[in-house]
Amino acid sequence: MRKTALGTFVALLLLSVALVQPVAAQTTLRVLVHQNPPMVEFMDTFNQQFQENHPDIVVDMSVVNANDLSTVTQTRLSANDIDVIDMFGFANAVQPYMKNVDPPNWQQLADAGLLMDLTDQPFVANYDAATIADAGTYNGKVYEINLGRVVYSGIFYNQDLFTANNVTVPTTWSELVTACETFTAAGIPCMTAGGKDGWPIFVGAYGLIGALYPDQAALVEGLWTGTITWNDERALDMWSKMQVYARDMIESGASGIAGDAAPGRFASGAVAMFPGGSWYAPAIESAEPEFEWGYIPFPGSDDAEDNQYLFGKYDQGWAIAANTPNAEAALTYLADFSEPENYQAFVNAVGFIPTQETAQLDTHLGAEVAPYLANFRVGYEQYWVAPRGVGQYANPWASYFQPFGTFDDPQTLADTVQADLQSGLDAAGS
Amino acid sequence: MTYHFGRGRSRWLPYLLLLPGIVAYFVVALGPSLATTLFSFTDASGLPGAPVNWVGLANYNEFLFLGQAARDNLDAVGRTLIFMFFVTTIQFALGLLVAVILNQKLRGRNFFRTLYFMPVILGAVIQGLIWSLFLYPLGGPLAKFLEIFGARSEFLGGPPTEAFAWVIVVQIWANMGTTMIIFLAGLQTISEEYYEAARIDGANNWQVFRNVTWPLLTPSVNTNLLLNVIGSLQAWQLFLILLGYRNGTQVLGYLIYAVGFGQTSGSVTSSFRQGYAAAASIVLFLMVLVIGLAVQYFLRRREMRLMG
Repeated sequence: MRKTALGTFVALLLLSVALVQPVAAQTTLRVLVHQNPPMVEFMDTFNQQFQENHPDIVVDMSVVNANDLSTVTQTRLSANDIDVIDMFGFANAVQPYMKNVDPPNWQQLADAGLLMDLTDQPFVANYDAATIADAGTYNGKVYEINLGRVVYSGIFYNQDLFTANNVTVPTTWSELVTACETFTAAGIPCMTAGGKDGWPIFVGAYGLIGALYPDQAALVEGLWTGTITWNDERALDMWSKMQVYARDMIESGASGIAGDAAPGRFASGAVAMFPGGSWYAPAIESAEPEFEWGYIPFPGSDDAEDNQYLFGKYDQGWAIAANTPNAEAALTYLADFSEPENYQAFVNAVGFIPTQETAQLDTHLGAEVAPYLANFRVGYEQYWVAPRGVGQYANPWASYFQPFGTFDDPQTLADTVQADLQSGLDAAGS
Repeated sequence: MTYHFGRGRSRWLPYLLLLPGIVAYFVVALGPSLATTLFSFTDASGLPGAPVNWVGLANYNEFLFLGQAARDNLDAVGRTLIFMFFVTTIQFALGLLVAVILNQKLRGRNFFRTLYFMPVILGAVIQGLIWSLFLYPLGGPLAKFLEIFGARSEFLGGPPTEAFAWVIVVQIWANMGTTMIIFLAGLQTISEEYYEAARIDGANNWQVFRNVTWPLLTPSVNTNLLLNVIGSLQAWQLFLILLGYRNGTQVLGYLIYAVGFGQTSGSVTSSFRQGYAAAASIVLFLMVLVIGLAVQYFLRRREMRLMG
C-alpha cells in the first residue's frame, strides 16, 4: 500500500514537471534619461506600450537631473550597468584653430569604445541625414540618433497680461525695456527663470548674444583668434543690456525657483514673461491648459531686423552602450521608438522641432516658432570650447551681475571676462 | 617566550585573524589611495577602454600654475581654509556650549539632546533640501521674516560671499550634534568630586569651568578639533546640493568632484578628467595631512602640559 502511494506520488510529480511550460527568460532593459517632465511622462507611456509589444523585455528607466546626466552616464557605462542612454546632440567639437583643449565627453565615450556603432541600423534612415551627420556622427560612424532641435533664445509671454496692460509684443530692445517698466509699475514681475538650477538665468539671455552676434560660429572663432573680444564696444553693449536683464527684468527671488517649477510659475500668471527654451512649452500647457501664451525671439537689438533669429541646439538623442549584454533588446527599443507614429507622438509630447522629415510640430509652439524656423541657427554654447587655463569668468553669462553674482559694472565685468579668456588663450599659445 | 595562542602553528592564529581586516584596508582604503596617486601622473579620463598616458607632473603644473584657472584653484584652496576656520571654531564653541548646558540637570534635556543631534542622521541631501526650503527667496520663512524689515535676499542664489556663508551655517547645523555628543561623553567622565572640591574652595562657575572642566575635557577637545578640521577640509556634498558649480563658492573638495565628472564649465559636454582631478585630490590630501599633523602636534603638547 505504502509502495503504491509512493509510486503514485512520484508519477504525479514527474507529470507535473513535464506539464509545466518553461518560463520565458525576461530581459531587463536599463534606460537612462534626463529630467524633463513631458519627456519622462511620454517615456513612461511608451515603455508600457513597448513592454506590451515585447513581453520578454522589462524596461527599467532611470531619471536624473540634466546637470548630472554626464556623470551618471560615465559611471554607469563604466560599470556596464546601462543599455540605452539619453545623450545631448554632439556639440563643442574641437576646431582646427583651437589649441590646448579637452575633447567633449561624447568624443571621449566614442574613443573609449563605450558607444555602439549604429551606422548600419535601418532605423537611422528614418532621421534626416543632416541631423545624423551634425549631431550623432563621429569619425564616419553614427553613435547617436538625435530626436529633435530646440530653441533656447526666445521669450514666452503672457498674452492676457500684455492685453490687460496695453503692452505690445516687443520687437526691439527698447520696447522690451519699456514693456518691463510698464509691468513693474503695475506690480507685476517682468520675467522669471528657474535660477536654482543655475543655467536658466544665463541661458535666458542667450538671445541677447544672438541679436548682437548672429553668426555664432564666427563669434567663437573670433574670440579664439582675437578678432573679437569680450570687452570691445559691441560686447560692452551686450554686457550693459545683460545687467538690465539680471537687475531689472528677472524677478527678485528667481534664483530659488527650480528649473522644472518655472514653467508652472509663468503659467500661473504671476509674471509677464519667461525667457527660456522651447522645451518648456509642454510643461506650460500641462500646468494651465487654458493659458494663452506666445513665443518670440529675444529682442536684444534696437534694430528689429537683428532680432529675427532663433538660436538653439540639438537636444536629446539615443545611444546604446557598446558592451551591453542586451544589444538585441536595445536595438529593438530604438527601432520601435523611431517608428514614424511613435516619433510623432514624442514630438507632440515634448515640443522638439522634429528631426524625422515626415514628422510635424503641429502644436501651439510649432505655430509660434514657424515664422522663425527658416532663421534657426545653432547657438554659441554648442560651438564654444575653452582652452585649458581659462579663468572661471570666461563666459558671456548674465548671471555674473548682481543680484545673482558679484558684478555691478559692465566695464569691470567685461574686462574680467576678457582677462580670464585671454589667460587661457595665452596659455594655449594663441 | 610565552605565546598566548600556544606554540607551533597556533602562533600564526593572531595574524590569520588580522588578515581579513588588513586585506579590507588595502582593498578599500590604501589601494584606491595609491591608485589615485598614480592616476595623478596620467591623463586618465576614468573611462574603461580609454587610453591612459603618463604625463608626469603636467596635471600638477596645470592645477597650480596654468593661467587664471590656477589662480582660481588657489582661491578655492584659500576658501577651503576659510571654511575650515569658521566651521571648526564656531562648531567647536557651539558644541561645547550646548553640551555644558545639556549636562546640567534640566527638565527635557534628553529631548534637547535628541533635537540637537537629529541633523547628523539626516544625510546631506535631506539637510540641503531643508535649508533650500528655509532659504527659498520667494516666500520662504526667512524671506518672509526679512520682508518685515523691508529687506530681501537671494540667499543661496545671491552673491558668492553670501552663498558661501550660508553653506558654513548649514555645515555647522548639520554636524554640531556630533561635536556636542563627544563633549557630553567627555563631561560625563568627569567625577562630581572635582566639582564639589572646587566649590568648597570657593570657585565660581567660570573658575570651575576653566580649572576643572576644560583641562579634564582634553581628550574630547582633541578628538573634536581633529574631526572638525579634517571634516571641514574635506567637505563637498553640501556645496553640490546647495549651490552647484558656482563661481566664487567652490572649495577644493567640490572642485575635485566637478573636475573629475565634467561639471565645471556649465556645458553638458564637459570632458571627464580624472587624472587632473586625482592631482587636485593629492593637493587636498597634502593640505589635510600638513594641517592635521600640525593640529595633532599642538594638541599632544597641550595634553602633556595639562595632564602630565
